[in-house]
Amino acid sequence: MIEPSRELRDACAIVGAGNSRLGRVPGTSSLDLLVEAMRNAIAESGLKVSDIDGIVCRGPDDIYGHHQQIGARLGINARFSTSLDNGGASQILAVAIASMAIKAGLASVVICGYGRDSWSRTHKSEEARVLNQTTPDDQLPKEFAPEYGFFGAVASHALGATRHMHLYGTTRDQFGDIAVAFREHALRNPDAQMKKPLSKEQYHEAHQVVAPFGLFDCSLRSDGAGAVIVTSRERAKDLKQPPVLVKGFGSFNNLRGWYNDDNMVVTAAKKSGEVAYQMAGVGPSDIDTAQIYDCFTYMVLTQLEDYGFCKKGEGGAFVASGALRMGGQLPTNTSGGQLSEAHVEGMLQVVEGVRQMRHTYPAERQVKDADIALVSGHGGNQVCHSTLILGRT
Amino acid sequence: MSGSTEEIKKEPKKKPIPRPAPESVKYWQAAKEHRLEIPHCNACGKFWFPPSQSCPHCLSTDFAFVPVSGRGKVFSFVTFHRVYHPAFAKEVPYVVALVELEEGPRLLTNIVGVKPENVTCEMPVKVVFDDVSEDVSVPKFAPA
Repeated sequence: MIEPSRELRDACAIVGAGNSRLGRVPGTSSLDLLVEAMRNAIAESGLKVSDIDGIVCRGPDDIYGHHQQIGARLGINARFSTSLDNGGASQILAVAIASMAIKAGLASVVICGYGRDSWSRTHKSEEARVLNQTTPDDQLPKEFAPEYGFFGAVASHALGATRHMHLYGTTRDQFGDIAVAFREHALRNPDAQMKKPLSKEQYHEAHQVVAPFGLFDCSLRSDGAGAVIVTSRERAKDLKQPPVLVKGFGSFNNLRGWYNDDNMVVTAAKKSGEVAYQMAGVGPSDIDTAQIYDCFTYMVLTQLEDYGFCKKGEGGAFVASGALRMGGQLPTNTSGGQLSEAHVEGMLQVVEGVRQMRHTYPAERQVKDADIALVSGHGGNQVCHSTLILGRT
Repeated sequence: MSGSTEEIKKEPKKKPIPRPAPESVKYWQAAKEHRLEIPHCNACGKFWFPPSQSCPHCLSTDFAFVPVSGRGKVFSFVTFHRVYHPAFAKEVPYVVALVELEEGPRLLTNIVGVKPENVTCEMPVKVVFDDVSEDVSVPKFAPA
């Protein structure tokens, strides 16, 4: 069996992290928001924009050559520059590729980030709001789905939730524990899109979307962006922020498809996590906080199992125990996640993981004594996954 | 996400008609004649779905569309409450299931002839055909 290179463990560090305005930001574009997040990351890092010689980012579906447009807006050329296409798994993959490029001597300071304008795009007109469509027409399925009235990501993820409930007796009330915990975290985050408390009663009373998912099982439509800057551990030493080590990363892709094998109940997070744990030299019991890709409540539950925080099938009991809340066994999505902070395809999970490792938050937002964070990214029709393990120096 | 924006604007009350990829034309031709046929590999003997130009089990291109039993069970299912396409406004709540055929492959389909609240995982189902136009019949499944 091949093993991930130990040479990459702790070889690189994240030295800047930033987010743009989040939630409803009319009058901007995904690119504007991304560059806003990048400016914030650059400013706090103490680097000059001309120090950046690498760009790795996911391309929005509707922008060709995305990294080129970012470079043009930052006013830089780059030794290493490309756009990725792994959906919500791209943001961690960007940090992984940046680390590999730095270790290979292809770049020295790489900026990664992602921005989107889903709220503005789906609210630009009454028609756009009703159709609620973010996927370009030419990429929509043409057969074996639309004729059955099968549309959207809510439904495909909900199929996994139904199957998990059938196999393990998982309940909607347990999905609700996830939604409620993340909302509590969002209320401590002044940038978060959601500002009002959410009770379990409100969770259950909300309208159903595609059962078993109701309104609060679904992540937000958001405008927003996040960005991080990766460099070598050596270079990180004399910069402005406490460097946060890239301890390890992994990825796995269940390309046989979400509907095949057991992929909707044992996700690609399992194998992605094994690689990341191995590279970092840690296991699930070493993780102090998790930032999990929460497109839907169920996806958090199944990933917690896949990452070994509890056994397969016991995710419901794990989340119901209060484990995900601040002060719990594994404080998770401590900035509110995509369910309550903003949905930026996993980029804000990376940013929050970095901030937790710096220990610069006020006490109410800081996971106490957190030394190691696990961040997950998931996407590309539910089959692409990536894992990042961060640590304090 | 929804049906194609242009199509919905043109004919909001018309449900999307399958637009077959070249490799699935034979599937829809058989469905029109009320036969469920999926690709079967002559080299390794396995079935697969959706159709493609070579067997995903062994990469052989020696295959044929072969009638299957039309029997299977519900692997998983969801119930649509939200209207994603205006043509389905009167259908909600309706069930879309992933049905596992006896022959192995799974396909997305509607479960008909049963109330949504009575659909369960592992429920035995059999194919029925919905003639949506003169040219197109869509395979759906009902309790067996």
